[in-house]
Amino acid sequence: METVIKTVNLTKRYGSLVALSNLNLEIQEGDCFGYIGPNGAGKSTTIKILATLLQPTWGEARVCGYVVGYQSRMIRPLLGYVPDYFGAYEDMVVQEYLEFFAAAYNINGQQRTKVVNDVLELTDLAYKRDALVDSLSRGMKQRLSIARVLVHDPKVLLLDEPAGNLDPRARIEMRELLKELRRMGKTILISSHILPELADLCNKIGIIEQGELIYSGPVSDIIRRAKAGTVLQVGVATGQEQAAALLSQDPNVSEVVANNGYLQVSLKDGINDFSFVPQRLLAAGYRLTLLKEEEVNLETAFMRLTKGMVQ
Amino acid sequence: MVGQAPLYEMLGIGNYLWRLIPANPILVRVVQAGGKRKRDLLIRCAYLGILLFLVIFLLLQSAGNLASASLSDLSKQSSEIFYYMSYAQLALVALLAPIFTAGAITQEKDSQTYDILLATPLTNGQIVLGSLLSRLFFVVTLLISGIPIFAITQIFGGVAISSITMSFLIACATAFVTGALAMAIAVFKVGTRRTIFSFYLFIMLYLAIPLALEKMGYFQYQWSFDSTGKAQTHISWFAGFHPFLALRVIFGEPAYRPPEAGMVQGYSWPWNWYLSSPQTFYITFMFLLSLVLVTPSIFMLRRLAQSTNTMRGWLMQKLHISTGDRTRKPRHVWANPIAWREAKTKASANRAVILRYGFMTAGLIAAIVLVVMSSTQKPADVYIGAGGYNPNDKTITIMENGAPSVYLLRDRPESGRAATKVQMGEKQLGIEDLREGMVITSYLPDSGAAKKILGTLNVAYPEMRLSEKATRQFLLGAVMIELAVILLILTQSAASTVTREKEDGTLDLLLSTPITSRYYVWGKLRGLVSFVLPLVAVPIVSVLIFVFHDMIRSTPWAAHPLPWTVFPEAILILPATLVMVSAFAAILGMQMSLRCRKTVVAVMSSVGIVAGVCGGLWVCGSGAAGSSVGAPGLIVGCFSPFTLMAILVNPLDVASSSFSENDSAEGRLLVFVFGWAAAALYAFVVWGMYKSMVRNFDMTIRKQST
Repeated sequence: METVIKTVNLTKRYGSLVALSNLNLEIQEGDCFGYIGPNGAGKSTTIKILATLLQPTWGEARVCGYVVGYQSRMIRPLLGYVPDYFGAYEDMVVQEYLEFFAAAYNINGQQRTKVVNDVLELTDLAYKRDALVDSLSRGMKQRLSIARVLVHDPKVLLLDEPAGNLDPRARIEMRELLKELRRMGKTILISSHILPELADLCNKIGIIEQGELIYSGPVSDIIRRAKAGTVLQVGVATGQEQAAALLSQDPNVSEVVANNGYLQVSLKDGINDFSFVPQRLLAAGYRLTLLKEEEVNLETAFMRLTKGMVQ
Repeated sequence: MVGQAPLYEMLGIGNYLWRLIPANPILVRVVQAGGKRKRDLLIRCAYLGILLFLVIFLLLQSAGNLASASLSDLSKQSSEIFYYMSYAQLALVALLAPIFTAGAITQEKDSQTYDILLATPLTNGQIVLGSLLSRLFFVVTLLISGIPIFAITQIFGGVAISSITMSFLIACATAFVTGALAMAIAVFKVGTRRTIFSFYLFIMLYLAIPLALEKMGYFQYQWSFDSTGKAQTHISWFAGFHPFLALRVIFGEPAYRPPEAGMVQGYSWPWNWYLSSPQTFYITFMFLLSLVLVTPSIFMLRRLAQSTNTMRGWLMQKLHISTGDRTRKPRHVWANPIAWREAKTKASANRAVILRYGFMTAGLIAAIVLVVMSSTQKPADVYIGAGGYNPNDKTITIMENGAPSVYLLRDRPESGRAATKVQMGEKQLGIEDLREGMVITSYLPDSGAAKKILGTLNVAYPEMRLSEKATRQFLLGAVMIELAVILLILTQSAASTVTREKEDGTLDLLLSTPITSRYYVWGKLRGLVSFVLPLVAVPIVSVLIFVFHDMIRSTPWAAHPLPWTVFPEAILILPATLVMVSAFAAILGMQMSLRCRKTVVAVMSSVGIVAGVCGGLWVCGSGAAGSSVGAPGLIVGCFSPFTLMAILVNPLDVASSSFSENDSAEGRLLVFVFGWAAAALYAFVVWGMYKSMVRNFDMTIRKQST
């Protein structure tokens, strides 16, 4: 797999404020990389540097092998950048807006018409081609932003909170569109605060806090790392308190807490085999109604790995 | 209890009035923060600095005379200082008031805080008056801060306190009406961000046009102050509506005195007031107008804020300028999208369409009216009738008060009698030179002859409704105003072109595409110049109309062609010059737009720089061209766009040492050559600025992003 995005000790300072500190990031071709972090953590700064809009204070960023700053002209045709706002030309209609950016990528003549028609179809905006950009809803504007970055068929998409402030339907439509782009083989770097959707969409995740990358790797890996130990949810038909006392006496159990009609049983570190739990309960005559290992999702992992500090 | 009710009501009204202005939270916030802003402090210092400089300059200028001056000389000197300071104060207020009040226009657009205000229990009156007075606060404090400087004039006497009060009231009324107009535009939703510039333009034209007309001697009424009718005075009809003309009245100049109240008793009120005291009329009228503008805003504020359609949109729909539909057919996008956007999308906006077509129509109508007036003869009592001189039977028909009389002319001496003598002023003409329509100033029949034979005939070219000289002056005025408006429109468009993209975030989108700085800057420049090309065509076509007209009308007078109204080479020089000057204004505005973060700052500084450069060049160019040095002065004048225009349209007045009715060939040749040289120089300057902008583009943008 070719490395499409690579940063080495990437640092960006705004005066005394360190927005990025020695960021080392690597994204392979075809990856969908979810970039998460608290507000002000440095996500937009990273994306802006990769989009050639900002110069790093030091360190290096490469996109498709080209160095940002020195070879920005080579990078720009290869990437599509969607900022966290909609850059609207209020006086243009949808088709003009797309043709405008197609022309910016030097796509002219018949090819431009074809490309614009194709992306309008792909983003389901063909019926809005004559509408003024300003008259579109927020969800449509976001789809138009995606359409905009697709006109030149880029290898890399940099999406800065594309689902921010969208209603549920628009968010689902946006997610499906991004999945389609991933299927088309685009390398996507997406920052978002809607973590369940990122978990569904991305194969890799990067967590940034106070300008420092605290994790980067596969989604499954981060969940495994965030998992502090095995936690079980155990339900018994009657005698919940006695059952809790029984389990807490077991040397493999660190804590038992009654929670919403079931018991939350935390096993000691290194104990993964929880077959002894049903055995002991059944042997003591309890009727088991629930036995389930508690899942760690991306939100939980994020909360456990970050301290919630912003600069 | 019975006695408490009125007291309670009084307290309620008192509380309402207290909260309306002195304790108005909007006003209080601005007043508290006003003194802390660095920008405000700098402007205040600059304002006071200008007034102080003026006083010191005027005092130093007459320092030598003051030592031996009598009290009357000192008071005269004091009056002079007051005269200049009052004008300076009013000019600064007229300049600053629109800047500080125009922000109100966009408050509807920047509705984050506006909506919050509307959702509070603040009354409409509190919101409208709070917004208005908080915007006027700075201008009013400026005026107040100038009082100690005005007090200097009291040291020597000669200036009445009432005159100083009038001067301040005129400035204050001007500021108030400006603010009230901006508030009304904001509340009635007739404006957008772009309206700010139209607002400035309107204020500036309102101030400039009546002044120019007054200078040209139009729209004036005259009064005689003595029985002989000799001590005549003139006043502009606009004095009661124009701050500078109203201000002039308070100085009591003998030539600019309004009639006394007793002299206009025959007129009904308010005409007698308007005529006898235009300064008090102005102050009262402007404060009343402010009230008229603000009152509906107070009543309608929340109702209008609730409506989804803007008044502008409603008007557009009613006038069938816009359908209100939010769709339209897409247009073809050029290969250079930046140029396309500047040239086409901005031009197609409703406001721009009205502006462009309005400008073009007005310009062409003005030119056609001038042509018609300059080619229509004033009806003469005595003139040569149809056919002119008939060489076959040697007769002419003289029309006298509509009645034709046929006279014989003698083309050579016969029977001891002299040939008919035909005179045009000092010049002797042949009888074959007589043409139909020539005005006969006098004629003498040959008394001794049996038939009606003319002995002497004095003729003149027919007098037109507008003389050659007046036509040139009017044409020059028209094309100069057109050029000034073009440069203003172009400069503000150019100054906002990059800052708007910075503000709405579209610049980032463009910079992440392969568009290079060279491509971007060139696209903007090309687009902006394309945008104003139809406007630039207006003065050129105006001149062209005159050239064609001159060519056509010279035919029947082939033997005595009238001088050209405009030399025909003007149409070869003007296009290149105007396009290059437009490009110069555009690149200057773009430079400021790149450097500034805020559109308002970029627009104001660019307009100031372009006005300063053009004005400075005009003053220098006109001085040089009008001087007695001849050719060198003319050459220098060619490099100032406005002076070049003046030389091309009205050379006899502007460059009298190089042009005369009989000999203008050398001057014309010089203007042709150096007019083109000036265009080339402007092209070179534009090219240099373009290259510099391209070179610094990335660095400037990067610096701003950090």
